[in-house]
Amino acid sequence: MPAKTPLDAISLPCGADVDLLLEQAAQGRGADWDAHQQACAHCQAALGELTALWEPVAKAAAGPVSAPPGLVTAVMSQVRRLVHDIWYTLESTELGAVRIAARTVAALARDSARMIPGVRVALGRSIHGEVAAAAEKATFGHRHPHAAVGVLGRTAVVDLAVAVGYGDPAHQVAREIQRHVTATLRDQAGLRDVTVNITIDDVIDGDDGR
Amino acid sequence: MKAAPPAAEPAAGDAYLVARAREGYLDAYELLVQRHSAMAYRVALRLTGKHHDAQDVAQEALIAAWENLDRFQGGSSFSTWLYQIVTRRALNKVTRGGDARSLDLLPDLADPAMEPADKAERNLTVDAVTDALLALPFPQRTVIVLHHFERLSYAEIASVTGATEPAVRSHLFRARRALAKTLQEWK
Repeated sequence: MPAKTPLDAISLPCGADVDLLLEQAAQGRGADWDAHQQACAHCQAALGELTALWEPVAKAAAGPVSAPPGLVTAVMSQVRRLVHDIWYTLESTELGAVRIAARTVAALARDSARMIPGVRVALGRSIHGEVAAAAEKATFGHRHPHAAVGVLGRTAVVDLAVAVGYGDPAHQVAREIQRHVTATLRDQAGLRDVTVNITIDDVIDGDDGR
Repeated sequence: MKAAPPAAEPAAGDAYLVARAREGYLDAYELLVQRHSAMAYRVALRLTGKHHDAQDVAQEALIAAWENLDRFQGGSSFSTWLYQIVTRRALNKVTRGGDARSLDLLPDLADPAMEPADKAERNLTVDAVTDALLALPFPQRTVIVLHHFERLSYAEIASVTGATEPAVRSHLFRARRALAKTLQEWK
């Protein structure tokens, strides 16, 4: 006949509730005895046994599990499919059209803004929904087969939501972002007329925000 | 002003990113996905017991969260809300898929720096815990995973599951005893 263990009973001979002892052991407090437990051999033995029993669970729980590679990309790719793409047409000649996705413009602007000292967070958005709707009507003939909206010309409007560090001169940071982002979009995307709207909507201090 | 290298990790809080994502800043949502995808996968893996199911559940949950961002009230944290979506999706997957038993739960648990013998012992332990966990009814498995693996408080679990705190505690008592009994037999 197998030896009796604390789990075979509801309570110990001293009256202690086994479920409460198991809770204590499972929370890693098996050695933190209260006044009763310091004087009770039943409780001490049970806590030792239950702690050892729970050890594999604690070990398994402590092991790192990382997301499989590609999960973030797969999710964002699906999310982007749910959002209408907007495209800027940089050139349209007899050789064909050169287009750039508005989200690529937004990403370039965002990354460029993040280079500026004082910027803690920069998020990019290429165009407002209403503007996109108007552009879609106006440029229907140039629409890309996989795009909801086509915008002809080398102009772009970029919205940036920015959080700056506490104590950084917000207006100065904003001006610097506008200069830097405009230059980046001109040099890297070939956009000629760029409007960079900046909304500073948070101030972050130290390790704030987590 | 001189350009500095980009910050390695943006320090915005979830509430800020959720608000921006609602305004159409897709990269705000991407930051949320980067921050929470490991959690979504980890919980799904522990609840379904299968890597491919967990991957599906995590992906579906993160997309569903985007689609329903407007419905997110902000009464709880984004992570609590995501736990809720992942848990429900995992339940659907397990219910549709029948038996969720599998040995590939927690496949990344073994530390590559460990000695082979230690690794083998660790894998045995993980397999035993995996089997014991998957033998529990889904509600009990859920409270164990959320409390003992994810370190959620009773109040947070109540928020995720829609149960009361006393009900969560009661489920945990039963679940812990059942899990401990199974592990006892394994030993």
